[in-house]
Amino acid sequence: MSQLSSALGDADAFREIFFEETQEHLANVESILLRLDTDAPQPDDLNAIFRAVHSIKGSAGMLGCTDMAALTHLQENLLDLLRKGERPIGRGDIDAMLKAGDTVRLQALHHRGLLSAPPDSSQVERMMLERVSLPSADVPGTQAGQVTRSFQVCLGPLLEAIDAAELDMMLKGLGEMGAVDNAVIDNVPGGSVRFEVSLMGTAADLESVLSLVVAPEQITIGTGASAANDVTLVPAPDSALVSRSSSAADVAYKDDEFFVDPEQFRRRGHAPAQPAPSSAGAKPADTNAAVDLFVMPEEFKRQRAGVAPPEPVEAAEQPLADSPRRAIEQPAHAPPDATFIRVATEKVDLLINLVGELVITEAMLARQGALSESGADGNYVNNTGLADLSRHTRNLQEAVLAIRMLPISNVFSRFPRLVRELSSRLGKRVELQMSGESTELDRGLIEKISDPLTHLVRNAVDHGLETPEARVAAGKPPVGVINLRASQRGGNILIEVSDDGRGLDIARIRARAAERGIAVAVDAPDEDVWPLIFDAGFSTAEQVTDLSGRGVGMDVVKRNIQSLGGTIDLRSTPGQGMRVTVSVPLTLAIMEAMTVSVGGEIYVLPLACVVESRSIDAGEIHTLPGQGDTLRVRDDYLPVLRLAKLFPPRTRPSQPAGIAVIVETDGCDAALLVDELVGQQQVVVKSLETNFRRVPGLAGATVMGDGSVALILDVGHLVRLAGREGAMLLQGSAGLEA
Amino acid sequence: MNKSILVVDDTRSMRKMVAAVLQGAGYEVAEAGDGVEALELARDRVFDLVVTDHNMPRMDGVTLVRELRSLPNYDPVALIVLSTEVSPELKQKGRDAGASGWMAKPFDPQRMLEIVGKFI
Repeated sequence: MSQLSSALGDADAFREIFFEETQEHLANVESILLRLDTDAPQPDDLNAIFRAVHSIKGSAGMLGCTDMAALTHLQENLLDLLRKGERPIGRGDIDAMLKAGDTVRLQALHHRGLLSAPPDSSQVERMMLERVSLPSADVPGTQAGQVTRSFQVCLGPLLEAIDAAELDMMLKGLGEMGAVDNAVIDNVPGGSVRFEVSLMGTAADLESVLSLVVAPEQITIGTGASAANDVTLVPAPDSALVSRSSSAADVAYKDDEFFVDPEQFRRRGHAPAQPAPSSAGAKPADTNAAVDLFVMPEEFKRQRAGVAPPEPVEAAEQPLADSPRRAIEQPAHAPPDATFIRVATEKVDLLINLVGELVITEAMLARQGALSESGADGNYVNNTGLADLSRHTRNLQEAVLAIRMLPISNVFSRFPRLVRELSSRLGKRVELQMSGESTELDRGLIEKISDPLTHLVRNAVDHGLETPEARVAAGKPPVGVINLRASQRGGNILIEVSDDGRGLDIARIRARAAERGIAVAVDAPDEDVWPLIFDAGFSTAEQVTDLSGRGVGMDVVKRNIQSLGGTIDLRSTPGQGMRVTVSVPLTLAIMEAMTVSVGGEIYVLPLACVVESRSIDAGEIHTLPGQGDTLRVRDDYLPVLRLAKLFPPRTRPSQPAGIAVIVETDGCDAALLVDELVGQQQVVVKSLETNFRRVPGLAGATVMGDGSVALILDVGHLVRLAGREGAMLLQGSAGLEA
Repeated sequence: MNKSILVVDDTRSMRKMVAAVLQGAGYEVAEAGDGVEALELARDRVFDLVVTDHNMPRMDGVTLVRELRSLPNYDPVALIVLSTEVSPELKQKGRDAGASGWMAKPFDPQRMLEIVGKFI
């Protein structure tokens, strides 16, 4: 920061960008790490991780986040070694990298003032160094671009004795990286520890190891006798001993000081072989190393002025003169990330609300237009205008709602890590498959759905999947599979969490139900028993683990999903696994709807649940003993719900027969009897709970085009109500026909 | 007429910082997120100087330098690589590709202006 503040008034803007991109980088790195095939790592993947870490390091250094720079530097060392294939990648490498990513994330939070204290990074730093110092598969020094270098190290004069165990560990670590010789250990205050070490790596690497046990100002690294194949790119300016007094993090990215040899460049240069005056004169030698000039700037200027034809440059500058600044500040090919702005969600919500009102107004106008059209001249202009208005309003609404849409990968992205950690803690082997991550849904839903989904995934790992031994014993592959799938169906998003584990234990659910005094018919089919796990306090886990089974479980999941206007459904096959399907609306703000009338009242049905509608005669409805009214639709007998009975009309009576709207919910169909179909339109959903109170069977209310209020039916709930009244769902007609 | 500089870096914060330093000194600055974008911009107009990161997706800095040198009109343009990577091997590659200089990140803003000032 101090570096920047001299040239820039305020580094805060850059810090914001930096923290944002750090988050992106870390998320990206994590997802790559989690899917990395350690047996056959893709070079592209390793390079992408390297680049991300590298980016963080560079900017962190500029912005004074030295702890982040130091840790990412260690990551970079490890990555560099791995991507050069110096040894196979182990699980421990992935663990260390993940841990480092977590720590960097916390460090960033600390720098943003969101965390009062910086995270303790000593453990993860040690972890990284251990990974770096693991013996490589090949003989050191044979790798391209890697040479073994010798350094003379002096730690001291020591202000206080180094912790003996730490010193021992460090020396051992260095020994594994290369060789430690001629150690003279006088580990007392005022004394020093001296040794020679040969290793593959830079002085800065070495220093970052050393600085774990002693303060950087007590570290002196000199370059000494080299191994036979050493390409000595050293020495640093003047003496072979370079005393360092800057912080460890500073040191970490000034590698160049130790290897830059401007003389070499000048000798081989295609440019005039003159000493670079700026490098030699202006600053002390060691900072000069940061800049290499291959061409003499002054010479360059002369070349430019004389040799180069002036036309192209002039011509190039022409457009600038025509449109000052703009042409250059807004390049046509702006980087994609430059098009993002951060907006408070309240502003977007306000916009959505206003557009919602506009949609209603537009509908009212359209209605007025339709009424007046029935008059004399047809009012051509007015109708064209209305049609345009209608189109634009709808486009506007879609565009505004799209602002709030985010891909579900925002939720899914946390699961690989979760599954990895849970499975290793539980000793299970799990393969997580995901699809449909790009499916978009409302941001508000994303936030609310992530907890229930997390719970489902936890459950699948903890209770669903068996241990590898149990799986093998059951004749299954040792690795269990959890499948997460998202897709859009109409106005709904379907999310499936399935596993190939043991499935629900029907016997235990029945036993648990009996314990809790829940009556379950002995001959009740399994499908009726499964949903019991959604009841409060119903947990069948044999032991309460620290992962799940705290007594709050599926009931909370179900409540959460229902509060979003969604449904949850489960299927289980003993020994083969289970599948939980969550369905939530795309957005809570608007809904594609079918409007129907009953006794002069208008009701709204979510279009997503309407299968078909047809007019029927009274004679088509059969009353079956114990099963209420049913309507035969092709081969199925569906329970009949008379809306007029559920919501008795205040004014005129409903027609005896009329229209049957076949609705589907939770996989069950039912026939809803209404007087007539009014139309199909988008409605803006207004909550009944916030404006009135929760009413069973109603999902909300909306304002219609004529300004009247219509109630939105909760079809799923109505069908369940009907079920309770005894109108059992009959799937397949074989039994009935007989 | 202000001199124009093209700043190439895939790291947005770094790119913005370099751009801010240069703009603060009165240079016109254009930005590109990687070598490919930079090349597209450079085909449309000739900048007075290019400061480029090395490690970028799609096209790295050294390759960009090589590509720029092959463009007509880019012979007299100073091309400076600004990278945390400072290995002599890589610098040598940069020099062979036609880079005019190599600066290490993190950079000192004053020093950057000093260097840029010597070229243009």
